[in-house]
Amino acid sequence: MRFSAFSLLQRLVLAGALGLIAATAAHAKPDAHGAPDKFVLETANEALDVLRADSNVKAGNLDRINQVVNQYILPYVNFRKTTQLSAGRYWRQATPEQKDALADAFRGTLIRTYSGALTDVQQNTEIKLLPFRGDANADDVVVRSQITQPNGQPVGVDYRLEKDPEQGWRIYDINVEGIWLIQNYRNQFAQQIQQSGIDGLIKALNQRNQ
Amino acid sequence: MMMPTYARFASALAICAVTAGCATPGDPNPADPWEGFNRGVYKFNDTVDRALFKPVAQAYTYVTPQPVRSCFHNMFSNVGDLWSAANSFLQGRGHDFVNTLGRFLFNTTMGVGGCFDVATANGARKIPNDFGTTLGVWGIGQGPYLVLPFFGPSTVRDGVGRIGDWQGGIYTYSTPGAIDNVPIRNSLWGLDIVDTRASLLTTTDTVDRVALDPYSFVRDAYLQRRAAMVRGDVETDDLPDYSIDEEDAETDDAATQPTAPAAAPAQ
Repeated sequence: MRFSAFSLLQRLVLAGALGLIAATAAHAKPDAHGAPDKFVLETANEALDVLRADSNVKAGNLDRINQVVNQYILPYVNFRKTTQLSAGRYWRQATPEQKDALADAFRGTLIRTYSGALTDVQQNTEIKLLPFRGDANADDVVVRSQITQPNGQPVGVDYRLEKDPEQGWRIYDINVEGIWLIQNYRNQFAQQIQQSGIDGLIKALNQRNQ
Repeated sequence: MMMPTYARFASALAICAVTAGCATPGDPNPADPWEGFNRGVYKFNDTVDRALFKPVAQAYTYVTPQPVRSCFHNMFSNVGDLWSAANSFLQGRGHDFVNTLGRFLFNTTMGVGGCFDVATANGARKIPNDFGTTLGVWGIGQGPYLVLPFFGPSTVRDGVGRIGDWQGGIYTYSTPGAIDNVPIRNSLWGLDIVDTRASLLTTTDTVDRVALDPYSFVRDAYLQRRAAMVRGDVETDDLPDYSIDEEDAETDDAATQPTAPAAAPAQ
């Protein structure tokens, strides 16, 4: 009864992280120029292999997990776009230096989100794609998946990808059980900027990074 | 039983009023007009949680073997499925209704009274549902965001829904409240609360680690999730629209980019 709203947060952080990790590891260099759902599945399975094989990750070593996130996730995520959309209308008020600093600072927060969840990857954690809806030729698509864990309910995770002409598909937003990541940071960003400006937001994010 | 709850609620309000914790910040969120009050209750809940519920849940997790915890958790979840199924029925979601009822029957028999969630293992995932969602499906708006003492995030509609859940849970025998024997009922309630809190330990730790403002983080996650539950399974049609801001930002980027090449020849 109590705290039932947190159960969805649990899914948000656990599954979201798992999902993003799964969707973005670069082990086998999945084809970022092919079909977006295939791209997600290929990278997911590669990533899960890496995680399952790594005993440090299983032991819950957060530093090591941060490294894994850095190495296998960042290359497939457009963090700058995530940051830009989270900042919303304040983004254009920022100087180029502030934009860089903000994206950098926010990246730390996102890495921690994914890392915290990775401690829960187990031998039989699996990702399954749900039927692709929408136009496969569009440049902005949503790939839907379900992540199954041995001791828990499967969790629905959607990935929003944008196609870059050069780099191919890049994930910029994820949805866990109905909660979009960017949407969840918009008010927090706006609130902090109204209180202490863009520099204040950068400072607050960096403080959380320490 | 109810008096202490009211008493604590009243004192929380008093604290909130005295410390000016109720002052609403300058730029109110349209979904959260009572932010000052809500933050007060949030703080109260958080304090009680850190002092009482969280340590108890941690101790429970420490001393109880994982299979035992999982069994208790599944049994609560299994009886809860009855009321979820009733809500799916009320919402006209026949597919969900049949699935959830099937889960209950399968888990109760093959899962040894719900101890094992064999339905999930066989691909029938749990479909969470409640009366607040039913009210939403019937067309009632969520109303202002509302943090309830002890129960946490809610809205006016979902708060009313909780009363329905309470009654409905008793009619369908899906909460400990349906049991007449007071010691057994209260023990099960205690276990239910501890089990719920224990299953959320990693979540709340992560919120502590990643949220810029935990209050806003929890609120926005709650509101998004509830909207998704009312909507049902129609994700692709309801993508968040970031486009207005995106356009602004892109024209801005486009405006800043030419300045770089322009600056380069000037050197």
